[in-house]
Amino acid sequence: MSANPNGTAPASAPLLQVEAISCRFGGLLALDRVSLELAEGEIFGLIGPNGAGKTTLFNVISGLTRPSGGRCLWRGRPTTGLGACGINRLGIARTFQNLRLFESLSVRENVLVGLHHAARAPMVGALVGSGPFRGHQGRLEAQALELLALLELDALAQQRAGDLPYGDRRRLEIARALATAPRLLLLDEPAAGMNPAEKDDLRRLIGRIRDHFALTVLIIEHHVPLMMRLCQRLAVLNFGERIALGSPAEVRRDPRVIEAYLGGQT
Amino acid sequence: MDLLQILVNGLSVGAVYGLFALGYTLVFSVLGVINFAHGAVFTVGAYFTYLLIGGAVGANGLLAGLALPFALPIWGALPLAGLGAALVALLVERVAFRPLRRRRADPLLALITSLGAGVILVNLIQLLVGAESYAIPTGALGGLPASFPLLGARVRTVQALLLGIALLLVAMLTLWLEGSRNGKGLQAVAEDAETAQLLGIDSTAMVRLAFGLSGFLAGVAGGLVGLSVSIAGPYFGIGYGLKGLAVLVLGGLGSVPGAVLGGLIVGLAEAFVPADWSGWKDAVSYGFLFLVLLLRPRGLLGRPLPTKV
Amino acid sequence: MDAALLEQMLLGALLALSVYLPLRCGQLSLATPGFYAVGGYVAALLSTGVPAFAGTGATSPLPALLVEMALGGSLAGLIALAIGRPVLRLRGIYLAIATIALVEILRVLNLNLPFTGGAMGIFGIPQPFAHPEGYVLFTLVLLAVACWLCQRLEVLRLGRAMLAIRDDELAAASVGIDTPRTKLIAFVASAVLAGVTGALAAHFLNAWNARVGSFDASITTLAFVVFGGSRFWLGPVLGGLALTALPELLRPVGDLRLILFGGVILLGPLFFPQGLVTAERLRWLGALLGRGRGRRKPLAP
Repeated sequence: MSANPNGTAPASAPLLQVEAISCRFGGLLALDRVSLELAEGEIFGLIGPNGAGKTTLFNVISGLTRPSGGRCLWRGRPTTGLGACGINRLGIARTFQNLRLFESLSVRENVLVGLHHAARAPMVGALVGSGPFRGHQGRLEAQALELLALLELDALAQQRAGDLPYGDRRRLEIARALATAPRLLLLDEPAAGMNPAEKDDLRRLIGRIRDHFALTVLIIEHHVPLMMRLCQRLAVLNFGERIALGSPAEVRRDPRVIEAYLGGQT
Repeated sequence: MDLLQILVNGLSVGAVYGLFALGYTLVFSVLGVINFAHGAVFTVGAYFTYLLIGGAVGANGLLAGLALPFALPIWGALPLAGLGAALVALLVERVAFRPLRRRRADPLLALITSLGAGVILVNLIQLLVGAESYAIPTGALGGLPASFPLLGARVRTVQALLLGIALLLVAMLTLWLEGSRNGKGLQAVAEDAETAQLLGIDSTAMVRLAFGLSGFLAGVAGGLVGLSVSIAGPYFGIGYGLKGLAVLVLGGLGSVPGAVLGGLIVGLAEAFVPADWSGWKDAVSYGFLFLVLLLRPRGLLGRPLPTKV
Repeated sequence: MDAALLEQMLLGALLALSVYLPLRCGQLSLATPGFYAVGGYVAALLSTGVPAFAGTGATSPLPALLVEMALGGSLAGLIALAIGRPVLRLRGIYLAIATIALVEILRVLNLNLPFTGGAMGIFGIPQPFAHPEGYVLFTLVLLAVACWLCQRLEVLRLGRAMLAIRDDELAAASVGIDTPRTKLIAFVASAVLAGVTGALAAHFLNAWNARVGSFDASITTLAFVVFGGSRFWLGPVLGGLALTALPELLRPVGDLRLILFGGVILLGPLFFPQGLVTAERLRWLGALLGRGRGRRKPLAP
């Protein structure tokens, strides 16, 4: 998939359409008729100041929050009412801004839980631990280790997830999300708390897994320079409203973005 | 039985349920857990009232034959019994809750530790005064008649006292929560303990305050029930403890007016169960509780439950 | 040791496993004694009222016991299935209170239904075994099967999904785990185990009444699990065995025994907040055994 120089969605049917999503919490309008389209294979960035509604949009797309208006379409079909589990099974996986690992489980087990969909085995064989069942288990273990190796976590496989340092946790969340065999990966501030060198590594890692799994990636990140280099297209949210959409170059020039988001700094 | 009589009976029982549930709700609002020793504190209050009013311990138990050298009238005995129960509740907090808080252990463990404290209290009572039931002497009401007529119904003086005292305590508690420095501090801790701590509110002191108040209310409720029915034995608080849970959820966990409203509703609903069906009476409150949990888990007057993402 | 006490301890261990199953996925259900009572009533009613189950009236055939256990477990499981979905939407203390209410409602039903014998309950339940030793052997087999199934959870995806829900329910849903279904499975399995145990216990105790399923029992069974540790099945089993034995072992101290029992319940969670059997201790034990026998497979992850 090549970058889209003019920032418009490609002609082929979009993977995910976000249609006029609104989200109201009490008196607060967290999202105001936000629309987006993601094309298969692109890396799409979502930026905006704190409280702009980026994570809320993620929660809506991944089925954790029910929107008060609008809907999402996955390959043209509405995802309304599917819930987090159903949406994950469609092929949408996510990470969390505030890290939600299964902390009492080992690193390896976290990934195995992600492989839940693939772990279905015949009941009787599973109960008695038959030969075919053990073979199946072996393949799952191998798959988990492979994912861990890709994210450079294989040496830590037996550690308790809750004991990992911060950066490793971030990568483990990505590994766990990848284990669910997604087509679309939502990354919520994956570079938070990382130093510049680590951010650079992360950028390369995201590119690598996108290529390896032929993924589409939707990413929230505060670090604008990183996003400018990483993403083919960007959307900017401010106070729940989408104020800009386009290629990094377009967004950078957009007067509303400069005013609302970068205004204080330039 | 005519309607008015049913209303009077229901409201007076409901008032006790409300008082009892208030104690639960105070502790729940600051700690987010249920104090399963609350029923035992209620029982302690009932026995204190019995002793202060001049009753003598029966033939069983280590304290057989003991009586205080004085006999107080009911308006002296009830507050003192409440204070005694408050001290016991503080002791429960000290041994069953504070160590867990200090170790930052799973708050659900407090269910077990507080039950352990309750088991100790109940069995200690049994050891000291025996398992028999005690009736608080009717002379305790001083010169008041045992009952009086009201609009054609017969109201027992005890019932009127129950209702009056319960309403008085609730009114005082509400005024105090809204009007005083400590009351506001308590509410702040209930809202958000960490922020309250940052604002310089001593949350440990507030927790202690909540336990003291809850013990006082339970003790007074115990005394009132002992006065109006009898003390059926060391275990008689357990049933009230469970009924109090139903009231608590019905009204909304952590809501003061909710606890009172829930108590009155459960009391009234039970009063409307016909005598032939009295065996099913207990099912009324639990049925209510079940329905409320399924239809509106936050209860009638509770705040919406938080959902974290 | 006295065989009757041993049997009680084994029954306690089974009930502890019943509390453990929902707790493995973070659901604090106190409904176990209610389902236990239901299973016991099924067995008591069948074996005192239906000739095919009653045998001579004093002794009953062993196959009848098996059928009663199956029926008792099924009825308990069906009740759990019917109420599980809405009840399991509740979290934490709300779920605990709802299950307490369920236990109380079942208790009132058992007290007042026309065929359950009122407050006296049902007595003269016939004996499938001539001696307590027979019960002990039979219950040991049952407990072994239950433990083995729980051990399988350590490698099955269902068991992992349960632990994931316990750690973080939202995250579990967002990696594709059907959380309501998983919780329901645990709840129903817990009810079936309690019902089966109740059917067996009704015969052993010879009499059955509404008091077996009370609030006290809810908390006592929870104490088994809190004591033993709720992470791994061995914890509840040890907790159930030990805490059932404790009041009996304390009998020599006479009137103080329940006070001491309360003291143990009070102090246990303070000193062992994770329970006796924790992941660390198991790993240590596994390493010890592994070195001894040259086996690498750990008992628990």
